[in-house]
Amino acid sequence: MTTVVVFNVAREPAAAQVLADGRLVWPARKLPAGEDDHAALAVAVGLAASDLVGITLGQGDPGWAAARGTSEVVRVADVTVGDDDGATAAALAAAVAEVDGAELVVIGDSEHHPGLAPALAGYLGWPVVLAATSAVRIGSDVEATRRAGRVEETVSVPIPAVIAVAAATEESSPPGMKAMLAARRLPVRDVTAADLGIAAVPAFEPTLTSLPSSTTARLIGGDPLQAATELVKALRAEGVLE
Amino acid sequence: MTTTWLVVTDPLDLCALGRLVPGLPVDSIVIGDRALADSSARTGVRSVHWIEPVEGVPADAYAAAAADIVLGAAPGLVATTATAPASRAVVGVVAARCRASVLSGVTGVSEAGDALEVTGGAAGNAVVATWEVSGPLCAFIAPADEAPAPGVAVGLTPHPDAAPRPSRVTVSAAAVASGLADAARVVGVGRGLRSRADLAMVEALAGSLDAELACSMPLAEDLGWLPKDRFVGRSGQQVSPRLYLAVGLSGAPQHLQGVRGAKVIVAVNSDPEAAIFRAADYGIVGDLYEVVPALTAVLASD
Ligand SMILES: Cc1cc2nc3c(=O)[nH]c(=O)nc-3n(C[C@H](O)[C@H](O)[C@H](O)COP(=O)(O)OP(=O)(O)OC[C@H]3O[C@@H](n4cnc5c(N)ncnc54)[C@H](O)[C@@H]3O)c2cc1C
Repeated sequence: MTTVVVFNVAREPAAAQVLADGRLVWPARKLPAGEDDHAALAVAVGLAASDLVGITLGQGDPGWAAARGTSEVVRVADVTVGDDDGATAAALAAAVAEVDGAELVVIGDSEHHPGLAPALAGYLGWPVVLAATSAVRIGSDVEATRRAGRVEETVSVPIPAVIAVAAATEESSPPGMKAMLAARRLPVRDVTAADLGIAAVPAFEPTLTSLPSSTTARLIGGDPLQAATELVKALRAEGVLE
Repeated sequence: MTTTWLVVTDPLDLCALGRLVPGLPVDSIVIGDRALADSSARTGVRSVHWIEPVEGVPADAYAAAAADIVLGAAPGLVATTATAPASRAVVGVVAARCRASVLSGVTGVSEAGDALEVTGGAAGNAVVATWEVSGPLCAFIAPADEAPAPGVAVGLTPHPDAAPRPSRVTVSAAAVASGLADAARVVGVGRGLRSRADLAMVEALAGSLDAELACSMPLAEDLGWLPKDRFVGRSGQQVSPRLYLAVGLSGAPQHLQGVRGAKVIVAVNSDPEAAIFRAADYGIVGDLYEVVPALTAVLASD
């Protein structure tokens, strides 16, 4: 009965460097935590009946999860995150299979990797609840809450299952320096793709990238009254004021 | 011969069609009610496989059953949008079972010899990317503005025997109708506003536009100047007005996720580099304390 939390496997756009010629450079060694990771960790801590094992890939920071409640971290050291959520999911599923008694996997539901959590569930052959905001264990089920359009709904699925959590806010109280330092002493188990019986394929990247054609707003200048007059005229012409 | 599939569990998924390989026949798998199946049937697809969920069972629970139907036809390309959890769940099962590549933000797919050439936005649309995919591909498509114009309907192929996984869904709380969702015009205000009392000035502008008043998350969650059902974004309300006027709002991606459906976006911000100007159609670079009263005055004198 082990709960697993997958973290640091989303590439946030803010971490990318865009060069003048349109090339995209991602951090090679360390990815900043994903926007949804803190929420996934909080949900996982709440769901974990006993051990909470963290899983990450080569650019993950085990200390980040350890400071937030994992007892052990498994890191697939030679696999990194690329654009192909299917490939990332395959590696993560192989790592989950290594964790004794894993029956519940919690992961951040990153909007930049909409296929990751579903494909992970697909590889594991487990049901998934996506876009969850909270989750509780009820007997042998997990009951997760999510927003669907204008209603809030509760979805219950039997364990084993994958719960993908979307953060609603920033992390409210990140661990302090002391907890971060202590976390560095917690165990990290580095494994390789070969250990997991999967091919260590390089991260899937575009063959070409370029800068988008700039689509900035039509800026209206002049003194405020003049600008306001011109804007109202333009909006009338657009037909959005009637 | 491989097949091309569209997964539909939300009306917006139909807007993926326009971005697919032109001229390729597309089969569709629909999990949803009759109306969704019928509208899929009129989009020009070759077939509509239809699973109608049992009351109280979420569409997601049929992901594996839907995937079985798709996988039975040697899929080369499976497309949907990242809108609905159920569509994503179907794609996840398909991708794992045929070891497909899974890409998102896709705006175009075309054939390049034996491979597929895929274009789309990478790093949150910071760049336009081209990927080459040789195996099967599952693509989350950035929806086109419109679904294909309704044409002649193809017949539905119902799958009444499709078995769901055990799962239940209950509506735990109906969101309070704030009037924002259906508003034709919305004025959104952000942290550029200096005090709660100044809201009156923005309210006057909203009044003269016959618009609903909305805000960014910090104004509702941290400052409490407006009720929580008034903030727009990924964690708040989704709006699709004809006009969204953003006042003193930086245009954070989390906020913009809530206004994707807006027809015309106008921004008033004192910082010419504010991200909101990259999302807006019109902008006034200026102090909102001058521009907002000016706009109200111009509208009143019309
Ligand atoms: C997981 C997560 C979910 C989130 N969900 C949401 C969400 O659903 N909705 C949401 O709104 N946010 C959300 N956020 C927060 C979001 O990231 C931004 O912090 C927030 O939207 C910023 O609000 P703002 O634009 O009002 O404030 P700021 O970013 O502070 O921008 C204020 C703007 O006002 C301008 N300004 C200042 N003075 C003037 C003046 N006198 N005249 C004109 N302009 C002026 C400034 O130039 C600036 O651009 C979320 C964040 C996270 C991490």
